[in-house]
Amino acid sequence: MRLAAALLGVFLAPPAWADCPLDLGRGTGWVVFSDQYLMAFRPDPLRIEVGEPFALAVSVCTRRGGPAELLAVDANMPEHRHGMNYRAAIVAKGDGRFRAEGLLFHMPGRWEITFDVRAGDDSERLTHDIILK
Amino acid sequence: MIRLLLLLVSLLAAGAVGVRAQHLLDWSPEEIKAVGQHGPWPPPPARDPSNKVSDTAAGIALGEYLFNEPRLSGDGRMSCATCHQAGREWSDGLAKARGAVELDRRTPSLWNIGYLHWFGWDGAGDSLWAQSIRPLLDPREMNGGPTRAGELLRSDAALACGYERAFGNTPGTDDERLLVDTAKALAAFQATLVSPRTPFDDFRDALVAGDRESASRYPLAAQRGLKLFVGEANCSLCHLGPRFTSGEFGDIGIPFFVRPGEVDPGRHGGLVRLAASPFNLLGKYNDDASGNNTRRTRHVQRQHTNFGEFRVPGLRQVGRGGPYMHNGSLATLEDVIRHYSEVSPDRLHSDGIPLVRPLGLTAGQGADLVAFLRSLDAEPVARPSPAPLCP
Repeated sequence: MRLAAALLGVFLAPPAWADCPLDLGRGTGWVVFSDQYLMAFRPDPLRIEVGEPFALAVSVCTRRGGPAELLAVDANMPEHRHGMNYRAAIVAKGDGRFRAEGLLFHMPGRWEITFDVRAGDDSERLTHDIILK
Repeated sequence: MIRLLLLLVSLLAAGAVGVRAQHLLDWSPEEIKAVGQHGPWPPPPARDPSNKVSDTAAGIALGEYLFNEPRLSGDGRMSCATCHQAGREWSDGLAKARGAVELDRRTPSLWNIGYLHWFGWDGAGDSLWAQSIRPLLDPREMNGGPTRAGELLRSDAALACGYERAFGNTPGTDDERLLVDTAKALAAFQATLVSPRTPFDDFRDALVAGDRESASRYPLAAQRGLKLFVGEANCSLCHLGPRFTSGEFGDIGIPFFVRPGEVDPGRHGGLVRLAASPFNLLGKYNDDASGNNTRRTRHVQRQHTNFGEFRVPGLRQVGRGGPYMHNGSLATLEDVIRHYSEVSPDRLHSDGIPLVRPLGLTAGQGADLVAFLRSLDAEPVARPSPAPLCP
């Protein structure tokens, strides 16, 4: 009986990262994760257009549900080995939420977005690919 | 006999259908989508929130008068229209612009300029009105000096009246403000210069709508050229959208030495001048209090790769213009195609898959690309003379 209760407790207990603010609203966005970090992001406006500025709403935390910081967002086209003509700026919104302003993809094709995140002394670069047509 | 006639009629009909069918190449769904991205045309009127007289009748009217006004120049002989001529696609047909002296770059056409975000070959202007100030003051161009526009607006009764109608007050004593307002009226006028619909637009709309009969009227050579443009040649990577430009900058292997030992830094120099300009969108003359139109200016970054980059020009009316490239170094469209066909990889500074590479086109492919580019041309409707500013 005790064993059954313990098993039930294991199944009912939410994982630590359940407190991560991964819900960016409007039910949209991408989730990126590594061994250490969980991150969700959503473009604003939702549809990224070639040649038009956009921002990213970003939420980030550690897998254990601890706080994490977004240090930088950048993007490049790996095939052509060039980046953006613009530099994004990060604004912290509190509770693990950030906004990266000032991104612009000036060409169609594959863009790799890079997110530099940090928790304590540990930092890591997460990436996500977007094909822009 | 009747059967024979019927047979002949049906054969002729089949032949006619066959001929018509030959006039439309096979277009894949991906190609149709790519072609569709170059329209529709024309777009809605351009409106610039940083310019309070943008898209206003009074601002446009004042701007048209000022555009043709030689008294804005230092010697009273040169107006905007001296270089940006309506009969020459709002350029001058010269390889290099000629103001007070000969310059190092070609006069860019003003067609569809209101839809851009960066202005000038090097993008030193982040608004059309800021860009319009430069030639007014530049000693190599109109050399008007900082007070001339103000003096003219105050002293000429018709212009003063036009100014009051556009801006809601009489011209004051702040010469810098009047210089900026002159440029804003000039920008309001220039933003109305939208190129006409072309044979390409008719084809594009028919293709997207599935109207094969209308689409088949587009010449086969232009169709083949268009297939190359959006396909193998990959021109639409930079010449994209309805205006056939990304509005950004690129190095396409045109030498940028202007004299022995002296280079045109292109976009790199433009960004230096943008940051130093009191008239950029981060300054006090931006009429958009929301700041939404400052994102490009706030976030653009100067990079070493900007050396030798120049703005990607739109291609509408391209066959009626020329010479070509930022420095007018190529005389004809055929020369331009030859450049892209034979460009030396040594001149292109690319580590990865190069955006520009020698296309190695056959003579037929080159001719097809030219046929397509010429289908982006059309005869513009003649502009009526402007009405009096204050009748």
